[in-house]
Amino acid sequence: MNRDLRFTALKKTPFHSRTSLASRTNKYYNWNGFTVPTEYSTTELEYTAARNGTSVMDLTPMCKYMINGSDANKFVDYLVTRDLSQMEDNTVAYIIWCNEDGKVMDDGTIFKFSNTKFMLCCAVKIYNWLHDSAEGFDVSFEDATDTTAALAIQGPTSCSTLKNYGADDLELLKPFGMKQYNINGYDVLISRTGFTGDLGYELWTDPANAENMWDSIMEAGKELKIRPFGMHALEMTRIEAGFIQTNTDFMAAEDSLRPVRMRSPYEIGMGWLVHLNKESYFVGKRALKKEKETGNSERCLVGLDIDGDKPAVGSVIYNEKKEDIGIVTAAMWSPTMKRNVALASLKRPYGIKIKENIFAEIYHPEELEYRKIWAKCKVVKRQFFSPERRNKVPADLYE
Amino acid sequence: MSDNYDVIVIGAGHNGLVCANILAKKNRKVLICEARENCGGLVEESITNFVPQIPLSVSSSLGGLPIKYKAKSTIALSESGQHIRLVGNQHIDHKVISGFSSKDADRYVEFHDKMSSFSKALGSFMMASPPRIMNNTFSDYFKLFKLGMNVRMLGKKKFNEFARMIGLNIADELEDNFENTLLQGLIAHDAVLGSNLGPRSPGSLINLLYRMATHDNSIFGGIYEIDGGSKAFVDTLLNISNKNKVEIKTSSSVKRCITENDKAIGVELHSGEKIYAKKIISNADPRSTYFCLLGTENLDTDVKRRIKHHRSKGKVAKLSLSLNKQPEFINCDKNDLESRMVIAPSIDYIEEAFNPSKFDKLSMEPILEMKLKNSDQSNPVLDIQVQYASYGVQEGWDKIKDNYVDAVIKLIGKYAPDIQSCIETKTIVTPDDIEKNFYVSGGHWHHGEIQIDQLFMLRPIPGASQYRTHLDGLYMCGAGTHPGGGLTGIPGKNAAQAILEDA
Repeated sequence: MNRDLRFTALKKTPFHSRTSLASRTNKYYNWNGFTVPTEYSTTELEYTAARNGTSVMDLTPMCKYMINGSDANKFVDYLVTRDLSQMEDNTVAYIIWCNEDGKVMDDGTIFKFSNTKFMLCCAVKIYNWLHDSAEGFDVSFEDATDTTAALAIQGPTSCSTLKNYGADDLELLKPFGMKQYNINGYDVLISRTGFTGDLGYELWTDPANAENMWDSIMEAGKELKIRPFGMHALEMTRIEAGFIQTNTDFMAAEDSLRPVRMRSPYEIGMGWLVHLNKESYFVGKRALKKEKETGNSERCLVGLDIDGDKPAVGSVIYNEKKEDIGIVTAAMWSPTMKRNVALASLKRPYGIKIKENIFAEIYHPEELEYRKIWAKCKVVKRQFFSPERRNKVPADLYE
Repeated sequence: MSDNYDVIVIGAGHNGLVCANILAKKNRKVLICEARENCGGLVEESITNFVPQIPLSVSSSLGGLPIKYKAKSTIALSESGQHIRLVGNQHIDHKVISGFSSKDADRYVEFHDKMSSFSKALGSFMMASPPRIMNNTFSDYFKLFKLGMNVRMLGKKKFNEFARMIGLNIADELEDNFENTLLQGLIAHDAVLGSNLGPRSPGSLINLLYRMATHDNSIFGGIYEIDGGSKAFVDTLLNISNKNKVEIKTSSSVKRCITENDKAIGVELHSGEKIYAKKIISNADPRSTYFCLLGTENLDTDVKRRIKHHRSKGKVAKLSLSLNKQPEFINCDKNDLESRMVIAPSIDYIEEAFNPSKFDKLSMEPILEMKLKNSDQSNPVLDIQVQYASYGVQEGWDKIKDNYVDAVIKLIGKYAPDIQSCIETKTIVTPDDIEKNFYVSGGHWHHGEIQIDQLFMLRPIPGASQYRTHLDGLYMCGAGTHPGGGLTGIPGKNAAQAILEDA
């Protein structure tokens, strides 16, 4: 291998031969060392496919770690804030984990195969953290990022598409369930998970099967409005769903240079994932218990419903006295909801006790000039978009 | 369940005993659980050679400690018989060194004055509990301010000098000052004694300052032998314990801390017995305290990292030779044989002895600090601290032990040609043996290196200074805490104070 970085290209995912064919814009970016499209055709079109048909996204760059060993169950329960001691086999759970100060390091999903085998999927590399945390536990780790190809199939017709692909009885799979399939002669793990807040699945397989999987699914979804979608469209769907993104809506504890920028779960709306009454200890428990007891959380992450139709990207949020009380971390005009929505990090008590009479200062670009808009906001539930079909069992099927 | 005791102390090392007695004097019901059959921990003839004096603040808080010390002079042995004999008195030492080099003699007095004033400035800081920076309390800042002031009050010139020297290696400083290599070797020996440093390792100078701060602020002055040996010392502490109604359970090794709602409420012995108390104090080393007593499953990842990185590899073995007659050391009189005898002829010699230890190997020409016991009787014993005898040596101690002992004896033979014929039996206690027999991880005298990253508020690890651990109700009082090892009892006393403050 050539170790000279000047001659080392970003890695290509096992789907690259297909995603590059599908790209009409040649827009790529570096995701965790891989080159992946930000946009294939137009973001709006891709977004529309995700909300009305089936969208396909190459998820391979996500960090994927296999956790094996007799203490695997005990270990994941120790690593994350959520109580996983009663987690069932073949299910997936959304999780966050913290450092000793109770500051969030990242969020992710954990896949349980059995008490001795798990897969952890996340955005930030934590191989080192896993090893250092493992002292005293009988567990071993394998970084499966390069050895697992992953594809997200999301949208109302996604279940039908995958059934056509060969996933029998998939409509019966419950949200956060997972099932092992053998399709076209290879093993595929399908989980009912996703980042769009809609009906959707994620597929995991060996990289050797990637191209066949892509082609077969594209064929299977031909009549079901299937379309590959890139990071920009995903960003739109995840904001509508109210999902948070590490290093966008909050700084990962290990990445922030300033301690004051680190956030506890309570400060990013993830308090529901912290189970302080969990019997065993977990990383950050002492600090989180103290924060909960003293109630000294300083910030909160909330949803905002903003007047007008101009997205409040990067806006500063003020109270009626024009005092700075926070910042918008993600914003968009939601085409599906027909609402101007945003996620914002506010200084308490704003967002918790005071939900009205707050304002966003929006700078709206209009042909090389900025229009400054003073828009009234209302604190609302962060989950702007959550259709009934998302959690329906059996899932909706289309011809 | 009811608390049977107010306090359980894990380990009857001298710090554990000091801590237990101070608490018992304040009407606490105290139990000590000791894993071994005997109390005293590393205060044992098979480990200890020379000691500093217990500071007045410690002995007075125990209501006086009737221990007698004998001051010891030091002799740096030279193969040629041109030994240097120092007693720790400026005038006498000046005269002795003038016999070798009058330049060195003048420089020695200057050097000693400078070092002594620095160690005094550190001294008050050494006695008290270190400040906790994250606390943001006035008293913590005041303590830090006081240390800064102590050093600043030395004057601008000395302050600059202190700042220059604090990270320096001892070899540079000695070579700048002295021309006699034997004198250089002797001082360098004391700077690296018990540490994992060579004379050319950065930070070896602060090691010497630290040693001076507990040794009467003198390089060769505050070195003592306990009258009656280690046993007399331990017995004295046990007598006091008896008087203070401290209960001691020997042969009772503690398996873990019992916790409830993330608070230590008792201990479980390896026998299965459970004993409950309001507070638990560990005299064990930091690694054992965290990984065994607290349990890895109760630690944050960051804390595990710090404990794993805690430097505590012991480098000193003790060789005891029982003799059938007094050996003839070249050009040594009776007085000399009763002194602390050091074989470390030059800085380069020490550095060469140190080099292999970096790779977990042994030098067959180590540095030695010797004490001849019962010199006037028919069965003298030569006790030798052998450095750098690494913990976890590559070849394995079992394989290499005999060869190593022979090499040490051969080395002594250069200074006492008849030593071989005097030897009856030889016993060596390696750092691996210390770990196994005394339950000290790494077999380190000080339960962890005395280095700038493991001192003051960083001792033993950040977040666990001030004698409190990460677990509510569990404290530490061993040498792993500030100010560290040595027979001072200060950690024990400070820990007791921390517990009384929290009550």
